[in-house]
Amino acid sequence: MTAIPATRLSPVLVEIPRSARADMRVPARIYADETLWEAIQGDRTVDQLLNVATLPGVTGAVYAMPDAHEGYGFPVGGVAAFDAETGIISPGGVGYDINCGVRLLRGDIEADALGARLEPLVHELSRAIPSGMGRGGPLQLSDAELDRVLVEGVEYLVERAMATPEDLETIEANGRIPWASPRDVSTRARERGRGQLGTIGSGNHFLEVQRVARIIDQDAATALGLREGQCTVLIHTGSRGFGHQVCTDFVRRMDRVMARHHIHVPDRELACGPFASDEGQAYFGAMGAAANFAFANRQVITHRVRDVFTRMLGAEGMLTLVYDVAHNMAKAELHEGRRLIVHRKGATRAFGPSHPETPARYRAVGQPVLIPGSMGTASYVLVGTDAALTESFGSCCHGAGRRMSRGAAKRLQAGHEVRRVLEEKGIVVRCARSQELAEEAPEAYKDVERVVDVVHRAGLARTVARLEPIGVVKG
Amino acid sequence: MSPIAASHQILEHTSELRVRLRAPDLGALFREAARALGETLAAEAGGTEDPEDHDVEIVAPDLDALLVDWLNELLYLAETRCWIPRDAEALEVSHTRVRGRVRGTRVPIAPSLVKAATHHGLHVTPVRGGYEAEVVFDV
Repeated sequence: MTAIPATRLSPVLVEIPRSARADMRVPARIYADETLWEAIQGDRTVDQLLNVATLPGVTGAVYAMPDAHEGYGFPVGGVAAFDAETGIISPGGVGYDINCGVRLLRGDIEADALGARLEPLVHELSRAIPSGMGRGGPLQLSDAELDRVLVEGVEYLVERAMATPEDLETIEANGRIPWASPRDVSTRARERGRGQLGTIGSGNHFLEVQRVARIIDQDAATALGLREGQCTVLIHTGSRGFGHQVCTDFVRRMDRVMARHHIHVPDRELACGPFASDEGQAYFGAMGAAANFAFANRQVITHRVRDVFTRMLGAEGMLTLVYDVAHNMAKAELHEGRRLIVHRKGATRAFGPSHPETPARYRAVGQPVLIPGSMGTASYVLVGTDAALTESFGSCCHGAGRRMSRGAAKRLQAGHEVRRVLEEKGIVVRCARSQELAEEAPEAYKDVERVVDVVHRAGLARTVARLEPIGVVKG
Repeated sequence: MSPIAASHQILEHTSELRVRLRAPDLGALFREAARALGETLAAEAGGTEDPEDHDVEIVAPDLDALLVDWLNELLYLAETRCWIPRDAEALEVSHTRVRGRVRGTRVPIAPSLVKAATHHGLHVTPVRGGYEAEVVFDV
């Protein structure tokens, strides 16, 4: 356990002062109750967060959300903002899965009304949505078409009849990052991304069919179109090999130029460059292209989910997009009059009702915040608050957060055992590899109820609804 | 002093995969890295007996970067060629350059469990009887 001077500022917030390490430029703040704080100190999360606090141009404080855990470079669940004129941008501060994120669809149909149709429905979803690229992927794009995805994001898919204009209104940034720059993307990234649009990937990526189990805030739920008993679909995936290669390319590029910019980092994976430099701008543009790829990836999957639902359920199978939110991204944002580059790695935006980027239809309640739990446990829908803007640069947690290594999870429970437990709960599971089920078992994650309770009590977001899985598709 | 045996071992990491590599010389270390990556990818993608080899050459500013770039080159080949590395041979390794042949097999679905090899905490270190390194894969 790391010995560090920490002060508890409230029952859900701990601060480590700037004086804790000679190279820190700002304090570190960790949203956690006593139980989560103990868990967070169990690995290198705090060391990694303090490393981030040393980077040039960092402003205010660096933050760890209650689901935070050890990553590489930045901790997962980390938030840091850098001055746009004097500060840096770091590819490792976004991560390899650029714009990994979550989207929620709400159904017209009640979950219980699926009855015997649930199992074939989940089976068809697993057939329609591949985990990865085979020889000949699900959606082949020409160079020109791929360029349009990189520049236009989901807007391009409206033209391809895979998205509706209404979908655009409820996607972060309307599904299009305007500063995306395909010319800063390598040929290799294009090669890795080609054929992967519409694939969900491996690891912790999944698709879930759910039931709205409980409404906690009726007014907000009504605004989001959610009601108790309703069927919902949650999709968790990102920019696939395209984003992985963009990050790989720019970690190396930043690594080569740091000395020229007189930047020294305590961990080489924090490689970064001034945001205003050629390299900083090139990464920002390439990252934007990868983000558009990810928005489009989740949209193509949505299109296929809708196709399966209407094919199998007819008119009852209509699905409406509630929201799509990124949790690995760097954004240029105005905070108290300053233009900042806010890095969220394993953290989502949580903008309140008065923020101009909150979708018009949600202005009364705030931007939806989607927090998937671990496989087989509950997920939560929250809404952002205006207070989060001053508390955490408008940021919130992104999930339950791992607490156990993959190896430990496999030693704890065999994959077939995890499958049996889920099926006994009435959850239909489609996952090719039992090993992956073991790695993603609920016991490997923190208690999502506790994580959500902390962000609610901290005022970062308000809890709206609890969703429970009835079907899981894993890559 | 006897040379250490080449080996790899998965270590604990909360969310990613941390792999410790040990080998009697740099050539064997890079070979062991390819084998460790291949085993990890095979656990996800399965495999076939359909062999495919790739000649790989990487130049990097230093030894740590060379190991990361070597692994990321193999990941790129794996994902774009639907292929898994199994072994490497005739590796020539200096502190800034690696060249050799990587033996592997074709797979039906491109492996995507490992997103990248990272620099986090990585140091290729001379130890008694050889070299040791720990590398964290983003998964």
